[in-house]
Amino acid sequence: MKIAILYGTETGNAEMLAEDIMAELEGAHEVTCANLSDIAPADISDDRFYLLVCSTYGDGDLPASAQPFAESMDGSDVSLAGVHFAVFGLGDSEYDETYNNGSFRLAELMTAKGATQIGERVVHDASGSDLAEDIAFPWAEAVVAQASEHLGQAA
Amino acid sequence: MSRSVAIIGAGPSGCFVAQALLKADPDLQVDLIDRLPVPYGLVRYGVAADHQGTKGVVRQFARLFERQGARFVGNVEIDAALLVEVQNAYDAVVLAGGLSQDRRLGIPGEDLSGVHGAGAVTRALYDHPDADALPQLGRRVVLVGNGNVAIDLLRLLAKSPEELDGSDLGAVASEWLANSPVENITIVGRSPAEQAKFDAVMIKELGKLSGVSITVPDLPDTDSPDGAKKIDALRGLAGLSGGPKSIAFRFGMTPVAIEGEGTRVTGMRFSDGAGAQTLLPCDTVLTAVGFGAGPEALDRDRRVAEALDDGAGCLAPGLYAAGWFKRGPRGTIPDNRADAQAVAARILSDFERQPEAGKPGHAMWQGRGGIVNYADWQRIDRAELAGAADGRCRHKISTRAEMLAIVAKTEETT
Repeated sequence: MKIAILYGTETGNAEMLAEDIMAELEGAHEVTCANLSDIAPADISDDRFYLLVCSTYGDGDLPASAQPFAESMDGSDVSLAGVHFAVFGLGDSEYDETYNNGSFRLAELMTAKGATQIGERVVHDASGSDLAEDIAFPWAEAVVAQASEHLGQAA
Repeated sequence: MSRSVAIIGAGPSGCFVAQALLKADPDLQVDLIDRLPVPYGLVRYGVAADHQGTKGVVRQFARLFERQGARFVGNVEIDAALLVEVQNAYDAVVLAGGLSQDRRLGIPGEDLSGVHGAGAVTRALYDHPDADALPQLGRRVVLVGNGNVAIDLLRLLAKSPEELDGSDLGAVASEWLANSPVENITIVGRSPAEQAKFDAVMIKELGKLSGVSITVPDLPDTDSPDGAKKIDALRGLAGLSGGPKSIAFRFGMTPVAIEGEGTRVTGMRFSDGAGAQTLLPCDTVLTAVGFGAGPEALDRDRRVAEALDDGAGCLAPGLYAAGWFKRGPRGTIPDNRADAQAVAARILSDFERQPEAGKPGHAMWQGRGGIVNYADWQRIDRAELAGAADGRCRHKISTRAEMLAIVAKTEETT
């Protein structure tokens, strides 16, 4: 399957995780990995499966590298019908009110333009005891398996 | 032979420069040199002990050493003479040693006993090997400054012992906080609230404290979206009355003088900018008004003033600066990451324009005693994790001697 990993990062933690997920999936799939800051809404296509990896920063905001993408999405009439994505969030439960709000908002932006989310949003807690990859790798494997049922013919 | 870069200061900015360099060119030789036997600088000694999530960024830095070939050269103090040797040995040298010295207010009374800089206090709280002993605080504290450092200190002083669970605060600091006589903290900012330097999320966090009562003055609305977030966060705290410690916010007050009887602080005087003065009675003044270069900082202010291109962090040919050393004491970890990436880009573009000189790089350290490498740090790290007390995630070793003893002990047995 063609898989595009897109990350939104502020401190680099989401970027590192995105690269780790790419390394994990590369053997069995055709994988690319890019910063959301380098992506425009029109670049998103229905011939691949998108894995979005996104942190939260400040007061529940999108991280800096996802903000230009979010602004373009808001101001764009692009249709993402037929696009499939899954989302993984990084957050810190120390800030419980806004915990993992960034990944939530990114998923909302995608579905608002007609994209279809595969699986539930899964999140990692920086104040917890798990390593992000220990949660993200099984998540990636599971959503890729689900996605292959949806876009098997397109891939 | 690949080019070599020495980064002096293994804190977050130095590590982010290394990360950007190695991402662009994995063959570079990158060494991170630190005066302490342990890496990570302000992530270890500046990020608050109860913000462990923020400290998670060290997983990125560990990867530099564990997978990307960067080397840690710890326990090496770089003075002016050694800096020249390092410059001769490496193709590029980056000064990223930060700013360690509490900035002074420059007002009368600053040397009275009972006046303490936030940097000195947090270094002691966070078990920095060069820290002085924790000071004796009084009942009434005036905390001057509105940056995130001031808010960290305010929060730690206000937390109950239970609220420090999960932190890496040491036994001495934990006891100091638990037995603190502080009853009343007035936190005073020079700017109006909407221009305060703290992040709104830091203020919101105070709303979770169980043992405090908080008063906030009436604050005017503002058109600035960023300012409005701060005002909203402050208004959300107003009237919080959970417990015995009282916190009061004051804004728009410029420090005039610290007053005392004999050698002891008795109060601090402020002006409101319109001619009126206010005296806040207190027995302790904590200042959190920024940082400057310490005596170990290699003549930082002159170097930055004379920089070839200070925006890009180029001080002189082959000599660069990053982080607070370059930018002054501003900006969070991500701000300094973005800046470190720009410095790395400048170094790489300078490399493209210069022929390779075949400098020895890391080989300059061969035969030099006392160096702590990354494997040594991993032993210290394991000892710290294994020694964690109940309710703590780590037991930070607080002296160089103990750190070096762990390194020496393992050398004997291996």
